[in-house]
Amino acid sequence: MRAQAPWRLVAGREIMVKLTDKTFIVSTVLTVLLVFGSLFAPTFFTPDAPSYAVAVTSDEGEAVVDGAATVVSAGNAESATTAERVADRDAAEAAVVDGDADAALVGGPGQWELLSEGGAPGPLEAAVTETVRTSALAENAQAAGTSVDALTQGSTVGMVDLAEDGTVMPEAVTYAIGFAFAMMFYFAAIVFGMQIANSVVEEKQSRIVEILAAKIPTRQLLLGKVLGNTVLAFGQIALISTAALIGLTFIDLDVALPGLAGAIGWYVPFFVLGFLALACVWAAAGALASRTEDLQQTTMPLIMVLVIALVLGLYLEGFWQQVVSFVPVLSTILMPVRLIEGDVALWEPILALGLVLGFCAVTITLGARLYERALLHTSGSLGWRKAMSLSKD
Amino acid sequence: MLEVTGLSRAYGDRLAVDDVGFTVPDGRMVGFVGGNGAGKTTTMRMIMGVLAPSAGEVLWDGAPVAREDRVRFGYMPEERGLYPKQPVLGQLTYLGQLHGMTQAAARDRSTDLLTRFGLGERLTSKVETLSLGNQQRAQIIASVLGDPKMLVLDEPFSGLDPAAVDQMSELLREHTSAGAPVLFSSHQLDLVDRLCDSIVVLHGGRVVAQGTSEQLRDSAPLRYRLTTGEDTGWVRGAPGIEVIDLDGPSVLVQPQDEAAAERLLADAVARGRVREFSLVRPSLSEIYREVAAA
Repeated sequence: MRAQAPWRLVAGREIMVKLTDKTFIVSTVLTVLLVFGSLFAPTFFTPDAPSYAVAVTSDEGEAVVDGAATVVSAGNAESATTAERVADRDAAEAAVVDGDADAALVGGPGQWELLSEGGAPGPLEAAVTETVRTSALAENAQAAGTSVDALTQGSTVGMVDLAEDGTVMPEAVTYAIGFAFAMMFYFAAIVFGMQIANSVVEEKQSRIVEILAAKIPTRQLLLGKVLGNTVLAFGQIALISTAALIGLTFIDLDVALPGLAGAIGWYVPFFVLGFLALACVWAAAGALASRTEDLQQTTMPLIMVLVIALVLGLYLEGFWQQVVSFVPVLSTILMPVRLIEGDVALWEPILALGLVLGFCAVTITLGARLYERALLHTSGSLGWRKAMSLSKD
Repeated sequence: MLEVTGLSRAYGDRLAVDDVGFTVPDGRMVGFVGGNGAGKTTTMRMIMGVLAPSAGEVLWDGAPVAREDRVRFGYMPEERGLYPKQPVLGQLTYLGQLHGMTQAAARDRSTDLLTRFGLGERLTSKVETLSLGNQQRAQIIASVLGDPKMLVLDEPFSGLDPAAVDQMSELLREHTSAGAPVLFSSHQLDLVDRLCDSIVVLHGGRVVAQGTSEQLRDSAPLRYRLTTGEDTGWVRGAPGIEVIDLDGPSVLVQPQDEAAAERLLADAVARGRVREFSLVRPSLSEIYREVAAA
């Protein structure tokens, strides 16, 4: 005759209340926009490729500027350099001072002068200097009976970028992804943990908990709350991650996505279990308070744990990183980072998952016990220790 | 039928409820009366299972009450409980579903009741925006959803105007007519006197009196009022007579027995004019004060 299991009703209500809450909707939309924005913003703010106009007074000058144009566009393909013929040095100076030209090349072989107002643009100056030097070098070499190639033979250095073979991500990228993983977990755990605690204390404070406790077992109430909020937390994070991944494919950042997909594949179970491990403790923290104002005090231990986890997750390296990546909750932040960095045996994340699963069993048992004992205790907030010693009502 | 036997609850060394026993028969409305701290709320919470008794039992139809029974009990706790920031219809539907109703049935029934009690236009209003009287109505509606087998209501009428009290007591009467036992507590003794079939008086955690209001009145000590033409100070010396209150020509007495009362009347007539000699029926509140002071 019961239409639905009580915990499903409770979870459904938790989700519906949040999904119809304007603050929640607005903050989620803003976060997604922010993620998109932070990915696209760099392309909007990158200045246009520079183009340079150089006033010249002779054919030799024009030839040098053409040579320099090749050098400049080798550094930045969209940049253009053009020579503008003027009558004489006075006209060239006037063009620079009036702003018609960025610089002027006057004189001739052996006495070239680059005129500018307040210094010529760096790339242009370098290109002109190099062009003049190369042509002088070629002439001098010819005069000495040799060639530029002979003179410069064996002076090149080959460049190999290991990141380009697709198996190892650049260190900056792994750090950025690890940071994003850590922050996402940290925020989701705090925001939705607080949400669980809040929703528990709201029921306590409005006394509706007495009606609920008379109708359904408190464990069903707890189960519904925890699962409802886990779904919300995971859903919101999935939405933001999807936005980030879509954003990444739009911009020209060819991150090694295959490796990232693997890392995300591991991150998901660590995220869910890490969140669940704390969820019942958050519920207990809510039950210990009797008014919203007490939450600050009763949730303090949880927030401390998360801050420490975040700090350790971001700063630990080497041996200690390896050790701590097995510690439940901390493993959610550390193990995915180690997985992205590579060099992790398959048993390591599996063992870490096993450990956090075991830890979940412990915290759910303890959290549920505290929750049940403290839930109907309405006179003032309770300490964690005192709540443990309460008799079961 | 709900039966409570030997129910006790201790908070530390203090016994909040001490060996309480009474019954709420099917189709009857029982008033639960007592001062602040008498143990009414604690007893009701134990009946609903939100508080574990230190000793004693709650029986439903002769067997220890089970969770399956309690799910079908309608309960209104002393401290009102609804989600303040949620629409009233939405949460009544939710509570009805927790009661085992389907969503559609819960919504229909809630809408009907809200409309009946004048809240038809406020279905989607948040509870916190309703007046206290309307919140109270919504609270009573919450307790009667899902065709309850029994109602346990802690101070259901506090804060309601007389018209609302009539509306609500009519709603409760519908449930007793259908055979459900109803137990409600109240400080408003005249209301209890008017509505209830029987009364349980609690004081200091113990049941000090119970029965119908007739039975309670009959069990009260015999009292007479005597008013004469002159001062009645002489009554103080009359044999077998205890003076309760004396004010010049008028005196309230408690005779040992009928014979003592008749002797007093004869003496008074012998002394002069008797304006009044009447049996005083105590009001429920006087009985209550009496047993509470004992």
